[in-house]
Amino acid sequence: MQVKSEIAGSVWKIIAETGADMAADDVIIILESMKMEIPVVAPKAGKLTQLHIAEGDMIAEGQLIATME
Amino acid sequence: MNWNKDIDEIKQRRKLAKQQGGKEAVKTHHAKGRLTIRERVDTLLDKNSFDEIGEGAGVPAYNEAGKLTDFQPANFILGFGQINGRKVIVGGEDFTVRGGSPNPAGLRKSVYTERLALQYKVPLIRLHEGGGGSVGGTNNEKDRRPLGDPVFSQSRFVPLAETLSSVPVASAALGPVAGLPAARLVASHFTVMTENAAVLIAGPQVVKRALGHDMTKEELGGPQVHLASGAIDNLATDEADAMVQIRRFLSFLPDNAWAYPEKLACQDKADRCEDMLADIVPTNRRQPFQMRKIIEAVVDKHDDGDGSSFFEMSRKYGPSLITGLARLDGKSVGIIGNDCMYYAGAMTAAAAQKLRRFVDFCNSFHLPIVSLVDEPGFMIGPDSEKAGTIRHGTAAISAVLQSRVPWASVQVLKAFGVAAQAHFGPDGYVLSWPSAASGALPVEGGVAVAFAREIAAADDPAARQKELEDMLAASQSPFPRAEGLSVHEIIDPRETRPKLISWLRLAVAAMQTASPGPYLTGMRP
Repeated sequence: MQVKSEIAGSVWKIIAETGADMAADDVIIILESMKMEIPVVAPKAGKLTQLHIAEGDMIAEGQLIATME
Repeated sequence: MNWNKDIDEIKQRRKLAKQQGGKEAVKTHHAKGRLTIRERVDTLLDKNSFDEIGEGAGVPAYNEAGKLTDFQPANFILGFGQINGRKVIVGGEDFTVRGGSPNPAGLRKSVYTERLALQYKVPLIRLHEGGGGSVGGTNNEKDRRPLGDPVFSQSRFVPLAETLSSVPVASAALGPVAGLPAARLVASHFTVMTENAAVLIAGPQVVKRALGHDMTKEELGGPQVHLASGAIDNLATDEADAMVQIRRFLSFLPDNAWAYPEKLACQDKADRCEDMLADIVPTNRRQPFQMRKIIEAVVDKHDDGDGSSFFEMSRKYGPSLITGLARLDGKSVGIIGNDCMYYAGAMTAAAAQKLRRFVDFCNSFHLPIVSLVDEPGFMIGPDSEKAGTIRHGTAAISAVLQSRVPWASVQVLKAFGVAAQAHFGPDGYVLSWPSAASGALPVEGGVAVAFAREIAAADDPAARQKELEDMLAASQSPFPRAEGLSVHEIIDPRETRPKLISWLRLAVAAMQTASPGPYLTGMRP
């Protein structure tokens, strides 16, 4: 399962660690966009297998953030 | 002599017409997980309420003895019916005959649908699955007729356009929908599509030939594409859910533009105050909140007491703005709210077009509008400039300020810039939460620009910037605005529902002293 960003912004904080078991709506990372802190959450429960971004990265709309299974 | 032979033939024709494209075609259709058009109509309407029109339209086949052997029905089913006891007209292509691509009688019936809706002023529902015209035309060589319609005939698109000002129109895409059916589909106030539907101007083969793209019809026009493009409002989990959504949508609306929406008995208390509203907006302005939770706490609970009456439309299109229908004190209202989870709630080109369409829709059917405001302004940046946001945004503001329905605005948090105007209708009722902040520009962005020299010249520039920001933030507070009666009231957020209901009772009574009619507007930016 691919988790993509619905907005553009920069990666402010990474919250979840690779390998973590996530519940639906658990926060993976927080983006800074339009001076606000916007969480990117797990759409469904699952294991976070890979993060494709680092803190400070600029993110485009639709960009891949994480892979879950 | 009697008419028994002919009467029997009527029965025989009706029986054959009900076979649609034949057993095999129906079986293939079901195997794709889809219902036939007749099953769809039955799912949509109140039980046994379908009253078909043009049941006998189609092409008969006879044997050498002149006896009827087969009957290919028109591949468009049409008729009146009832939804929750109210009259509607419903039509849709029969995909099992020619893949829904119109045969001559099917085309006539489809064109007649809108005319009937206009003639009897009843809501129109279309259940689409079918293609447009075939390059081979709709005629066989042997029964070739003169080409084209006579020059004096009315274009079939005239009633298509007129229905939108006259009666509620809801349409569903329940399979591949291309060409003319796709155009009919979007000429609606509400559109819904199932997961395996696709909406296309032209299909994959045509696209490949012309542009070289090798794409499936789902990639070209599936839900992922059209919920975001705005062509389709809502996604349905299956066909039954699509029908439930259409029934729900129509429940908020009058039968036509010459009537007001019906008020329902309301079980939910008018003075219900939800405690969670008091602290739902974070004091730290960098942190977002859930506008939908505010909407759900304020509007009536659903009739069955489960969840709220809020029916959201177009969630994935222009998502920084929330639009939908709800009940307040049993009355139908249009709801608008900014969603700060998307670009702080800023008005993008898509959000502006969504807003304009929604406000015109509410005006067409006399729905008062409740706007929950958290508007930081038009979206900024290169993408927003390229999208022409400034023109779409200004058109939205024009639509709001030409609006003639009662309008209430609850300023929850931000109301900045030109775009803030898009949330306050003429003669509106304005409530302000203590968290409200208004001005030309949010302090965080504006101070650094407006006071650049002063900040640079200060001994401690960062401290001076903070000092200026704090000073200006105080001037954006709602209290001075309440003192100057530039808002009606500054309220405890928990009072939002009772305050809005008191206003709505007055506003609806005043609106209904006039006779309703179609809403027509002039040129906009």
